[in-house]
Amino acid sequence: MKQSGEFRLSASQANVWDAINDPETLQRCIPGCESVEKISNVELKATIKSRVGPISATFKCDVRLSDLDPPNSYRISGQGSGGAAGFAKGGANLKLAADGTGTKLLYDVDASVGGKLAQIGTRLIDGTARKFADEFFQNLAKAVDGAPAAQAPATAPAPSEPATTAPASQPKRVRWAIGFVVLAIAIGLVVVYLLSR
Amino acid sequence: MAADHSRNEGDMIGRALPRKEDDPLLRGLGSFIDDIQEPAGTLHAVFVMSTHAHARIVEIDVSEAIRLEGVVAIYTGKELAGRIKPITSDIVQPGYQPVKRQVLATDRVRFVGEAVAVVIAENRYLAEDAAELVRVDYEELLPLIDVDQAVQADAPKLHDETTGNVLFQASFRTPRFDEVFASADHVVRDSFQSHRLAVTAMEPRGCLAVYQRRNDNLTLWTSTQIPHIVRTAISNLLDWDETRLRVIAPDVGGAFGGKCSVYPEELLVSFLARELNAPVKWICDRREDLMTTTQGREYRFDVALAFRKDGTLLGALAKIDCNIGAYPSFPLGASVEAGGAAIYLPGTYRMPEYAYETRAITTTTCPSGVYRGVAAPVASLATETLMDRAARELGLDPAEIRRKNVLVASDLPYTNAVGARYLTGSFDTCLERALAAANYAEVRRKQSGDRLRDGKLHGIGIASVLEHTGQGTLRYRQRGIVYVPGFDGAQVKVEPNGRAIAWVSQCTQGQGHLTAFAQIVAQELGISIDEVTVIEGDTGFGPYGTGTFASRGAVIAGGATLRASTRVAEKIRRIAAHILKVNASDLKLSNGRVYASGETSMSIREVAAVAHSMDARALPDGESFGLEATDYYDPQVAPTSNAAHIAQVSIDPATGLVTIESYVVAHDCGRVINPLIVEGQIHGGIVQGLSSVLSEALRYDQNGQPITVSLMDYLLSTSVDCPDMTVLHEETWSPGTAGGFKGVGEGGVIGALPAIANAVADALVPFDAKINRLPLLPHVIVELMRSSSGLPGGHESTALGERNRLHDSVAVREEHAQSHECIS
Repeated sequence: MKQSGEFRLSASQANVWDAINDPETLQRCIPGCESVEKISNVELKATIKSRVGPISATFKCDVRLSDLDPPNSYRISGQGSGGAAGFAKGGANLKLAADGTGTKLLYDVDASVGGKLAQIGTRLIDGTARKFADEFFQNLAKAVDGAPAAQAPATAPAPSEPATTAPASQPKRVRWAIGFVVLAIAIGLVVVYLLSR
Repeated sequence: MAADHSRNEGDMIGRALPRKEDDPLLRGLGSFIDDIQEPAGTLHAVFVMSTHAHARIVEIDVSEAIRLEGVVAIYTGKELAGRIKPITSDIVQPGYQPVKRQVLATDRVRFVGEAVAVVIAENRYLAEDAAELVRVDYEELLPLIDVDQAVQADAPKLHDETTGNVLFQASFRTPRFDEVFASADHVVRDSFQSHRLAVTAMEPRGCLAVYQRRNDNLTLWTSTQIPHIVRTAISNLLDWDETRLRVIAPDVGGAFGGKCSVYPEELLVSFLARELNAPVKWICDRREDLMTTTQGREYRFDVALAFRKDGTLLGALAKIDCNIGAYPSFPLGASVEAGGAAIYLPGTYRMPEYAYETRAITTTTCPSGVYRGVAAPVASLATETLMDRAARELGLDPAEIRRKNVLVASDLPYTNAVGARYLTGSFDTCLERALAAANYAEVRRKQSGDRLRDGKLHGIGIASVLEHTGQGTLRYRQRGIVYVPGFDGAQVKVEPNGRAIAWVSQCTQGQGHLTAFAQIVAQELGISIDEVTVIEGDTGFGPYGTGTFASRGAVIAGGATLRASTRVAEKIRRIAAHILKVNASDLKLSNGRVYASGETSMSIREVAAVAHSMDARALPDGESFGLEATDYYDPQVAPTSNAAHIAQVSIDPATGLVTIESYVVAHDCGRVINPLIVEGQIHGGIVQGLSSVLSEALRYDQNGQPITVSLMDYLLSTSVDCPDMTVLHEETWSPGTAGGFKGVGEGGVIGALPAIANAVADALVPFDAKINRLPLLPHVIVELMRSSSGLPGGHESTALGERNRLHDSVAVREEHAQSHECIS
């Protein structure tokens, strides 16, 4: 399966970064996401419950980040195992770009599925993947675009730095790192969900 | 024995009787494998199937699954090691490499769907739940999804015991081939690719094994075509005494070759019943059926036909590659498709020169086997398509080029370039009758160059085909297929009440044996057909035999039934002659009585009483008790049936949808036992043929994942797609077979593929489209029209990118179905 698309958020790139710094926001945005676990700076584990046509399953996903070119693009790859429902693997290339006052997010997914998902679900995979991506981005837009810029830092967890009232005063590098990791989780989960379709 | 061609009023053979099978089936009284009453304590088996096309099995973890309440046992390949021998079809042919198939994969899986474990539980639901909890760790290996990938020099070897992945190859060349081909005026060539097909019998497979510890007996009910071959295989591979085994085929809901193999499931279920001392049942669901039942017809034929400029066919050159999947099937082996393809290609024509190379290649896809017609439909497609093209290029009508080359009476008996013998046939007669019935000359006269009429493109296509039927022991030995005996037998018995029972060693799956063979018995014994019962499929009764496939029923089982019945009739005459004090040769059997001249007669029931010593009168001296005979039959020459099919199609230029407007077939299957049954076989064959031409295709993605394993994605034709079919009968009795019968089971398919493909090609003549691949889905037709030079021949892409266009095609076909009135 090959799929690509783009999504425009009216929030600024900074706001998008901050919003997706919050794991709670992410878990709310990703349809069916039950848990997220950070293994390392570039490895994540997640559990997502989802459905393709008649097949529903809980997917245990392992995701790795690579080809990092911060803050422009990176690659996420991994595999999701849905038990008896089948499995998926593949990767996605992501590009972020400022678009006026908003943010453009471009994704390019390359995935394959196996097991029951491929046998019965192939006809439905493309449609379901697109639907999922749309739903995720709608949720993200609601979460991000609705929040005034000033509030963003309050929602951003800073495991290694204390939160301050002025997010811009956080060292840019740390902010990027946090934002990057959380965005990676978000995109990783999106990708994995797409993969598992 | 020479067949008596005289036909008398009151003869049963030749009569169009409704089938005895139908009344109980239509009332829902059929007893198929899933209907059989399960003994108390029956356990259910579910298989854990591989999700990878090619992978090493690293570990199988059953710990969670086995803890589920109600799960009795779980077996993997490791536990079974050495307890069940692998299935190996040792075909004795030069160029053949046998391979072993374990009933459960041990170190490697070789196709998606291969069983790696079996779960046995108290009910099916629990077994399926537990199967989902079995965790298998795979190390992926490179999948090989088609023949081109499998023959690459660096392709992984699929089987340790072979060199490379070509499991069978053969070649042949007539002595003058090169010079004749080189000097031919005209050569047409193309590469034909047919798509893999699923057999899709209405009833998938299944089996129920019941073990009795008291006698160490096992009875296996299984939906099969070959009960004796299954029984012997169980005995050999499980090392069990064959006298303690009984295999029974219940009502079988269609098979078409998909149940003509001994499957790992049959061996495993038998083993488990004895191991666990409990009945064990397994029923295949549709998804499993589309993934594990043997598949058919993934072939590539590179064919060239050479002609003189007046249209005389000089010779053929063929290079044939068959994708036979991960394992050869047993007992027919890897060579049945590749070998048969080569033999069929010359078809119904005089063709002195022939050269071929044929290969059977293993890949990481589902094992293939025989599917109605086997390679003949595609071989005929190649020959008939090229005949039409040559005709057009040489300025001849397709009917004309066939008239020039088809075998006529003075050619017979004919031995073709590869040694196949045609003793009798009506190739030219059937061609002329079909052309006349289809109004062919008129259709051509009215046909316009642009083929348009009422906004649709119209075309007419001809196919002249033959079918090798009733192959006996000699043919199977010549082909090196040592595990197929080739003969069949019948035990015909008249009970004290004067009624007859016939145990026939074949195994009907809808071919009407219980009626056709009853007609034979009834005629020979002179009793009513209602007083005859035919029983097949039970190895506990009657003689050993081969089974029902390859159009061998009428010829071999019919022949055996005829011979056994004749011997019983002779005994009836001998006993009656003794009692009536006349010569046995003066006696006639009819209406349930034995008639001498004048009014003297006695009932057959009385004769039976005498034979069972239940009458005051005694048997003649030296005559044995009882009134029965067992006989076998094995034809020395396999009779050839022939047919001419003419299809007319219309194509919607906007959508590419092909509609079959009319269909005429003139066929000759020798002496007809029951015209209704013959017509049913031809109708069914044509429908399966048209379905495979227009829409059926099993697809794998680039990783070897099967992606069309539900009937939503594997497109079968429906009643809405079927044309009215006109069937004309010719009867050229077979001189070399008992009864004069020939087979007819597969002719419908063999003719349908080329007739419909040629009709489509004719409709697309304005586009100079070359039809060389199947199926002809609407989007394929549209592409052919757009690219006026036609598509390049060869392998159709199985990439997922095809899917979107496939969806459009599906939508077109669904609309077409809905636009017809449905009976609901």
